[in-house]
Amino acid sequence: MEKIKQNPIVKKIGFNRIILICVLILMYVAFCVGIKGFAAAGTKHLLNTMNYVYFLGFLSLGVTFVIATGGIDFSIGPVMFCCALVGGYCLNSYKMPLVADIIIAIVIGLVFGIFNGYMVAYQKVPAFIISMASMNIAKGAAAVFTKTQSQSWPLSTDPVNGWFRNIISVNGFPVGLVIFAIAAVICGIILYNTKMGRYILCLGSNREAVRLSGVNTKKWEMSAYVMCGLLTGIAAIFFVAAYTTVQPGYGDQYNNEAIAGCVMGGTSMVGGLASILGTVIGVFIISLLQEGILALGLGKDIQLIVTGIIVIVAVYADVTARRRKN
Amino acid sequence: MGEVILTMKGIDKSFPGVHALDHVDLEVRAGEVHALMGENGAGKSTLMKVLTGIYKKDSGTITYFGKEVEFHNTREAQDAGVVIVHQELNMVGDLTVAQNIFIGREPKKGIRIDDKKMIEDSKKLFERLKIDINPREKMKNLTVGKQQMCEIAKAISHDCKLIIFDEPSAALTEKEIDDLFKIIRDLRAQNMGIIYISHRMDEIKVITDRVTVMRDGGYVGTLITKDSTKEDIINMMVGRVIYEDPKTHSMCPPDAPVVLKVEHLNAGHMVQDVSFELHKGEILGFSGLMGAGRTETARAIFGADPKQSGKISIMGKDGQLHEVTINNPQDAVKAGIGYLSEDRRRFGVVVQKSIIENSTLACLDDFANGPFINKAKEKKETERLIKELATKTPSADQLVMNLSGGNQQKVVIAKWLIRNSDILIFDEPTRGIDVGAKNEIYKLMNKLASEGKSIIMISSEMTEILRMSDRIVVMCEGKKTGEIRIEEATQENIMDKATRNIN
Repeated sequence: MEKIKQNPIVKKIGFNRIILICVLILMYVAFCVGIKGFAAAGTKHLLNTMNYVYFLGFLSLGVTFVIATGGIDFSIGPVMFCCALVGGYCLNSYKMPLVADIIIAIVIGLVFGIFNGYMVAYQKVPAFIISMASMNIAKGAAAVFTKTQSQSWPLSTDPVNGWFRNIISVNGFPVGLVIFAIAAVICGIILYNTKMGRYILCLGSNREAVRLSGVNTKKWEMSAYVMCGLLTGIAAIFFVAAYTTVQPGYGDQYNNEAIAGCVMGGTSMVGGLASILGTVIGVFIISLLQEGILALGLGKDIQLIVTGIIVIVAVYADVTARRRKN
Repeated sequence: MGEVILTMKGIDKSFPGVHALDHVDLEVRAGEVHALMGENGAGKSTLMKVLTGIYKKDSGTITYFGKEVEFHNTREAQDAGVVIVHQELNMVGDLTVAQNIFIGREPKKGIRIDDKKMIEDSKKLFERLKIDINPREKMKNLTVGKQQMCEIAKAISHDCKLIIFDEPSAALTEKEIDDLFKIIRDLRAQNMGIIYISHRMDEIKVITDRVTVMRDGGYVGTLITKDSTKEDIINMMVGRVIYEDPKTHSMCPPDAPVVLKVEHLNAGHMVQDVSFELHKGEILGFSGLMGAGRTETARAIFGADPKQSGKISIMGKDGQLHEVTINNPQDAVKAGIGYLSEDRRRFGVVVQKSIIENSTLACLDDFANGPFINKAKEKKETERLIKELATKTPSADQLVMNLSGGNQQKVVIAKWLIRNSDILIFDEPTRGIDVGAKNEIYKLMNKLASEGKSIIMISSEMTEILRMSDRIVVMCEGKKTGEIRIEEATQENIMDKATRNIN
């Protein structure tokens, strides 16, 4: 075991990551064997899983930055819905061009990110409180703006805006997966190869030492939330591209799923350690899991319980690993 | 003075790596105020913690009213009548005075708290202390002095026979100290035994009957206060330690220009009107006892804590002094100051990160092309410093948490050298560092000074101060009480200034 851990390739990817990949593969095999009709349905379940991966992946990548600073963002799910709803309302009621609606949706995510980040980094309001408040504001504002109407985004049959669906797939080719992969790589570069990432990870680990090195910790802490907001806006686009319709008043459950994906991947809840690859694998596991639960004929409620348990186990593992180290 | 109520004999206590108490004796009589004195780390607090059951002694005996005792916690000590009045007040601001005094043991009437009795009892306590405090007042509305009185009232409400004051006067005004002394004299007249820990020599002369001096965890001796002079006590405190090669003369040329000038700096309670100058290539020692305000002064200069007033000037590229505004560490770093904290793990290094990441933290911009970090350049520069400082590590990628204290300190030094800071503030540079590594740090500091860096060195170790400094600033309770050239510096005159409270 120790020998495997010391292998340079294993070290590079991270031992825990490799375990997670194994878990993912085993899960898929188990579903194929254990759930009647799962394998027989061909690519159906895989495509469903992918649809889930797209939006959850962007949410989870975003929240990875925030958690790396030692903060938390509980607003991402409802903010994602808010983006999709307001953008959709602009499209359906104001007949604005689709490109404008997409930009509006992303900008709304960004605005929430800026607000959360400013309040946390500069005004020292606990991230927990401010993101809870943002969550409610996002839900309420979206409902007011859309007059509690659910909003639909264009279908592929739409003569003018049908191209919208191409961001997920073109003739069966998973464009969405490519975009998500590129986004993950960019996030990885930001986190490991830029000043922003360096400062975020260092301040998540020991904020005071970084401040006493003459670094503007407030600015960099805020940047993590802005990044999260931007990715939340993008997540909204992928959500409606996969599921067409959004309803006001929902979105909370994705908070937990995004955080679960991130923490499962090895990002520490106390900050300072983050893994983009881990987050990506974590997102795949969560997405496959929810598809499996649906295929078993169990409902959303079971899914909530399972995600809850995953969060607890992942955080508990992180805490005990940390305790053992000290 | 009456009968002996407490005898501690041959008390021994070790912690991993430290022999904190080495056969310490202490005797307290009824109706006496007994001072316990010693430098930082002499073992006074440890001894009191052993007495009140916070620490378990390794050996030795404690005899209290003729019986051998061992308290297992402060509760047991309290029940026997031994209480401590701490330096930091442990009061709940939003509760009333009476509620604070009886917290955890409120008189009950059925299941309800008997407020009336609580207030009556508090009044009786204050009458006994001859002080005027309203038991219904919220604690936070009282002055620090009054809060201290409440703490004393709480102590005597335990029906105590031995009361320990741990630096009670540190936060008090002169008037409040007078009141405190009145109370202490009353308690003495009531035949209580009183242990009084303080750094203030003047107070010791005024209020105490006997003095026991400790040094380096050992017992030095006990004196009758009125028969001894201040010098006697100081001599006992510093002892005749033979220290390694003290500096005999300043290495800094007398005409060296001033690189940092601090004038009338005020920052909270702990930094009051501090002024000094630092010359190029000089090591300026900051000496003083615990709580003298040295770290606070450094943090205020560095912008780590807010300051109320004061002027800071720094030598610019043109060789002239310019006033600088320092509102946060960013400003200070930009002005060329580097601060090496006494608590490295909390304020100095990011232990979970590598040596490289720590070394370039203060000047990442120099290693970045736009937003991207040039990792090769970073690694090269870090490796150069590892070599130059002789940091012991298998590689530059090693996490800082895996390094020893001395090597962690070198990483912090590397950080400021890479940043090219000209003024370095070393706060307790060798705390928690073993002897061999200590010498290395000393050599390094001397080398830096000879290369033209200017160093402020805060140190609580007398030997370190006398060995390293070119000049010494002494502080006591937030004020600068003296400035001594190394040629004239002795342990005695430093200690004299460090215990002088100038109000």
